[in-house]
Amino acid sequence: MMASSAGSGTYSVSGIFVQSLRLAGRIVAALGVIGVVTFFSFHLLPVNEITAGFLYLVAILLIATAGGLVESSIASIVAMLCFNYFFLPPVGTLTISDPRNWVALFAFLATSLTASQLSARAKRRTREAIDRQNEIEKLYSLSRALLLADATHPRGKQIVEQIAQAFEFPAVALYDRAADEIYRAGFDGLPDMDAALREAAVRSQFSRDEKSRLIITPIRLGRQPIASLALRGTSLSDPALQSLVNLVAIWLERALSEEAVNRATVVRRSEELKSTLLDAIAHEFKTPLTSIKAVTTDLLSDPAIPLETRQRELISIADEGADRLSTLVTQAIQLARIEGGKFQLNRGIHFPSSLISAALRQMKSLTDGREIKVCIAEGLPLVSVDAELVQMVIAQLIDNALKYSPPSAPISIGARLTEGNVVIYVMDRGAGIPQEEQSRIFDKFYRGTKEQNLKSTGMGLAIAREIVRAHGDEIQVSSKPDEGSEFSFSLPLSPRSGDE
Amino acid sequence: MSAGRILVVDDDPQIRRAMRVTLTARGYEVADARTGEEALDELRSGIYDLVLLDMNMPGLGGLETCRLIRSGSETAIIMLTVSNSEKDKVDALDAGADDYITKPFSTPELLARIRATLRRVPQPPDHADLRQLGQRGVEIDLASRRATVNGRTSRLTAKEFDLLSYLLARPNKTISHRELLQAVWGPDYGDELEYVRVFINRLRKKIEPDPSNPQFLVTDAWAGYRFQLSP
Repeated sequence: MMASSAGSGTYSVSGIFVQSLRLAGRIVAALGVIGVVTFFSFHLLPVNEITAGFLYLVAILLIATAGGLVESSIASIVAMLCFNYFFLPPVGTLTISDPRNWVALFAFLATSLTASQLSARAKRRTREAIDRQNEIEKLYSLSRALLLADATHPRGKQIVEQIAQAFEFPAVALYDRAADEIYRAGFDGLPDMDAALREAAVRSQFSRDEKSRLIITPIRLGRQPIASLALRGTSLSDPALQSLVNLVAIWLERALSEEAVNRATVVRRSEELKSTLLDAIAHEFKTPLTSIKAVTTDLLSDPAIPLETRQRELISIADEGADRLSTLVTQAIQLARIEGGKFQLNRGIHFPSSLISAALRQMKSLTDGREIKVCIAEGLPLVSVDAELVQMVIAQLIDNALKYSPPSAPISIGARLTEGNVVIYVMDRGAGIPQEEQSRIFDKFYRGTKEQNLKSTGMGLAIAREIVRAHGDEIQVSSKPDEGSEFSFSLPLSPRSGDE
Repeated sequence: MSAGRILVVDDDPQIRRAMRVTLTARGYEVADARTGEEALDELRSGIYDLVLLDMNMPGLGGLETCRLIRSGSETAIIMLTVSNSEKDKVDALDAGADDYITKPFSTPELLARIRATLRRVPQPPDHADLRQLGQRGVEIDLASRRATVNGRTSRLTAKEFDLLSYLLARPNKTISHRELLQAVWGPDYGDELEYVRVFINRLRKKIEPDPSNPQFLVTDAWAGYRFQLSP
């Protein structure tokens, strides 16, 4: 059923009273017109019954055009009675002698009632057209207001105010699921609607209460309800209501995506700030370390200054302390960067062998004096990796192997092809890692319990694991007590690795 | 006799102190500057064989100072960087540095780098037929280390010149990265591919008519570089 086309949106008791008063006035006026026609035809200018009949019809057409169906129907019946009384013989009575006049009388009544109907319908159509036009104008002004709305203000509050203003609704309430908040505007603000609004948004249910002229409608984007809207005192047609709902849906979506963009900007800025901060921290820590390290290494290396054993020992302690501090700072910063997430892999195409030799070169000062076996399978395909980071992983695994195996035990480093993947491994002949510790060694700041473990920062393996994960794999550990451990991980092949 | 004159540029007084003591003990003459601006002033008034330049300084900053030094001088430059990242290394070399060293560094390592940077390779490129270059619009003056391409003259730094001479002495032959590194930088080098890459690019900008489409300094992918003379 379409909403009534009363149009002007009058809704109060006094409004209805005024409306009935107007209708009564129009009925009196219509009866007056019939009276005038009767008086004119009967007394002033006596005419025959045919002329009188036509005069009545004209009068009724005029009434129907100017007024509504009610007054023109009443006028039709009164005119029929007058026509019978004053003009159809026997004149002066409501009886009819000639049966042909019965036909005339009913033809008259039918014609006048049909004319009233037609005219009233035409009027109603016109009225409806004007109403639709008004609705479209309101929708247009609403959409314009929403387009120009300031996106930095709370979005829900703005939209309800704009709706209430554009459509002159006495009460509007909007429930926004994303924010889980209800926004209100208008005179009474629909304070008792919260539960109904939430339910409408969750269940995607439409409800209309004709008596209180209250509509609660879900607002969907695609099929997903994203909000709900309650309107009181609405006389909107269904298409207009649908357009309003769509408009709100689009606007909410726009506001949401703007918010997402803003959030992304904030995240990016804080990432940049973090990066700058980490650089500054690195610089601040490494500057004093640089002078310490320059001094200790100078003293330890200058053949012109032979050191006593005690001096050499003490300076070595300071030198190693500086190294350890330097590693700690470097790894803490690497870990902070990697944990910030979204670190970019700077992928390039590399030979597995060159990654291993670069890592060995990095570790040269530590591997000196240790037996290192390098075994790289022939004809390995190229890999697509961030060379700097992968070298860091290999160096970390080498460092680990050096720390957790006796100085006399050899360390094997290599690359092999396993099931079409390039696998890099680092193997030591240390004491091995107990089963229960194997899952924990990659945890941040985990350093085992033995004294030799204290050399570790507890961050190296955590960093290595994150880097390998970023390349799409996990570091595998296999270890047997008193035989040693093997750490291995695979590298993604380069798409070009099929070529030469 | 002085092993060379070195200008230490760093905003940290302790590092300047340590460098002064360490390097003086090894026979170098050392002066220092606190900022890039001071370093540029110092270089205008004195002659230095090498500048140790901190990358991260307030004011002008290390990279910009390096570029400004390079625009007027071929003095050897070693950059001191905090970050070990590939990007910082390449930035330093691109700005015109001859080498870099990551803080904190050990004194023997620094001394080795200084020696490598100051090291000259007597390498007269007798075999090169420079007339061919001349016919293609490129003049290389070996005596003054100048190259003129399309009327634009640039001076080559010592390391650029050594690298070019080494390649010119072996025209049309692919030389591996490792061989180039060890010949020009010294036996301690061999895996620093980025050095050769950046220096070849720097040379291309100075001697190639179209640096993005090199005719002489040709890359042989995965193998090395070659100086192409005969067509």
